[in-house]
Amino acid sequence: MLVVYNVQAAEPVVIKTPEMNIYFKPRTANQMGAFYEARGFPKEMRDVLRQQCFITVGIHNKSNKKIWLDMSNWTFTVGGKPIKREPRDTWKQRWHDMGVPLSKQSTFRWTLIPETLDYLPGEREGGNILLPFTDKRIGITATFSTGENKQGKKIVIKTDKLFCAQDKE
Amino acid sequence: MKLKHVFTLLVFVLSVFSSSSLIASDTTVPFGIRHYDIGSAQNFTLSDIDGEKTELDSFKGRWVFLHFWASWCGPCRKEMPKIQQLANNMKGEKFQIVMVNTAEDEDTVFQFLASIKIDLNSLLDIDGQVTEAWKPRGLPTSFLINPEGQVKYQAVGGRDWGKPIYINFLKNLLRPE
Repeated sequence: MLVVYNVQAAEPVVIKTPEMNIYFKPRTANQMGAFYEARGFPKEMRDVLRQQCFITVGIHNKSNKKIWLDMSNWTFTVGGKPIKREPRDTWKQRWHDMGVPLSKQSTFRWTLIPETLDYLPGEREGGNILLPFTDKRIGITATFSTGENKQGKKIVIKTDKLFCAQDKE
Repeated sequence: MKLKHVFTLLVFVLSVFSSSSLIASDTTVPFGIRHYDIGSAQNFTLSDIDGEKTELDSFKGRWVFLHFWASWCGPCRKEMPKIQQLANNMKGEKFQIVMVNTAEDEDTVFQFLASIKIDLNSLLDIDGQVTEAWKPRGLPTSFLINPEGQVKYQAVGGRDWGKPIYINFLKNLLRPE
């Protein structure tokens, strides 16, 4: 079997604007599997997670105003077609249905990016985004509100340079 | 004579400016700590790694530094010695540090605390539900609760609690208004 790897696949994407820095770092199934195994996650949980595309996102507010993260203002495409990201509640229900211990459910949630968060000036926070695994190019458009009451100008971040990271076999 | 008046005025302006700066530095919330007036602190009872039970409400009457952490979280590990420094600096004050480990088992917490050689004990939120109820913005997160049991501040992410800016801020909270 010929396996062709895009050497760009695991490369992080860093985008800088005057107001914020944001990075996207794809993680391989083995990386995330090892992380969760070390946290004592049961095999059936890890098997589900190994089928996902993990992208670690870090956000740094460099401005002197609040920046608002709201994941409902993010859109994702694969090969140019829109796809849905499964939010926290969907995962919560899935783990519940699988009978995953509450402690592991809780730890899992802590590794995800928050659904909403207001970034104070200077603040850095992040977390993981999970998408269905694909070997196609991933596009992300992330829109952020700014200002105390979200009345400031919108910041729109776009990238179409991301791929899911794959382990070499 | 005119020069003397200018000098006197200059000294007066400078003294007013410097005293107002001092007041400002005493009451200014340091970077990374935000006002977080959400009302009464949600009570809980958890056991520590020695099996000793602790109820949050039992610390009413003193400021409480409630800290949520996990051993797998890099900033939490880095911050832990700084919290020890904070504890050392606040000895003898009406100030209580309450650490809550999020969703890890006793062995993991015991090994971690032993490995970093600190004196601090931690409560165990084994199933993570107390942490869920408190809804910290991320890990690590610290809440400051006043002696009346009202949540007043939140600090997200690791910081150097041993620095004078934080120590002075916290000691200033303890002073009667």
